[in-house]
Amino acid sequence: MDELDILKKDWKQQEASLPKLSYNEIYKMLWKKSSSIVKWIFIISILELLFWGVLNILLSDGEFWKRMEVINLKEFTVIVYVLSYAVTFYFIYRFYRNYKKISSTDDAATLMKNILTTRKTVKYYVGFIIISSALTSLVYSYFTIFHHAATAEVENPANYNFTATQWLILTAAIIFGSAIFLGIIWLFYRLIYGILLNRLNKNYKELKNLEE
Amino acid sequence: MDKELEHQFITNLEKHQNIAHKICRIYTNDQDSHNDLFQEITIQLWKAYPKFRGEAKFSTWMYRVALNTAITLYRKKKRGIKTQDFDTVHFKIKSEEYDGEVEENLKLMYAAIGELNDIEKALVFLYLEEKNYREISETLGITEVNARVKMNRVKTKLKSIINP
Repeated sequence: MDELDILKKDWKQQEASLPKLSYNEIYKMLWKKSSSIVKWIFIISILELLFWGVLNILLSDGEFWKRMEVINLKEFTVIVYVLSYAVTFYFIYRFYRNYKKISSTDDAATLMKNILTTRKTVKYYVGFIIISSALTSLVYSYFTIFHHAATAEVENPANYNFTATQWLILTAAIIFGSAIFLGIIWLFYRLIYGILLNRLNKNYKELKNLEE
Repeated sequence: MDKELEHQFITNLEKHQNIAHKICRIYTNDQDSHNDLFQEITIQLWKAYPKFRGEAKFSTWMYRVALNTAITLYRKKKRGIKTQDFDTVHFKIKSEEYDGEVEENLKLMYAAIGELNDIEKALVFLYLEEKNYREISETLGITEVNARVKMNRVKTKLKSIINP
């Protein structure tokens, strides 16, 4: 007899030593809270969507609009905001659709894929916010600097002329600052993903290898 | 109506609870974790139950949801120091039934199963439950060919532990 056949036979005998829960014990379990990963992913995703969404709204208070008017960018800003709201709602809709697709009655691979897709939706949304914020702030900085240069009345303009080195330092400082900001966000994401999705990613890869 | 559904569910689960316990044995190595996982499996089954319309057997449906919970949905709680080993506590091998070498081999194999990754554990579990390749591939969502190759690898792995 093969070792695995012996194992199989013993496996059947193990049933005798399995715990046996009563009707009432099972009944009590139905009302306990789930600690499933999907629940955590849902909570964290909602928090993220709220955080970035609210941040987006808060940054555009009355003061901001006045400044935009001063530098003649009001129309541009309106367009940017309409677009960004449209994209946000699209992502929320996608997130909701993907989340609804997650079902424990699917086969293992489909279940894993759906969870990963749901999480990815949020990741792409945050990516979109970061990239679009970077682009728009570049446009604003450009206009602010040049508008300021054109209208500001200064006593001694020479003081405000940057030398090549000063420009270099300014640019370096901006790049450095953005890098640190992005680095923190990246770390934060590694952490969330590490905690929530490491095992899932690993299992999904393990399951799907050998398949195209 | 809800009461009826609840009663029906608990009765079904009570009858088939062995499936979940066996999965817990494969995926956990102490009684507390076993209970935790069993609890989560019960919750997931109960949440999915309204979608179970009896087109499949309860047990078939249960294999899928319970395995999904163990592999994907369940989040292990951080536990303190593990004081007991996988083979000694979890699997009770009746010494009187086997000669010394066979018993030793069984212990080794159960211990080896405990060391496998989540997917390999699922394969071993489905193998021990005598599921055919069609069922295995449908439960895991992979092709039958893939299931076969993976299964052979796991079998070889287990055997090589006993005959190095």
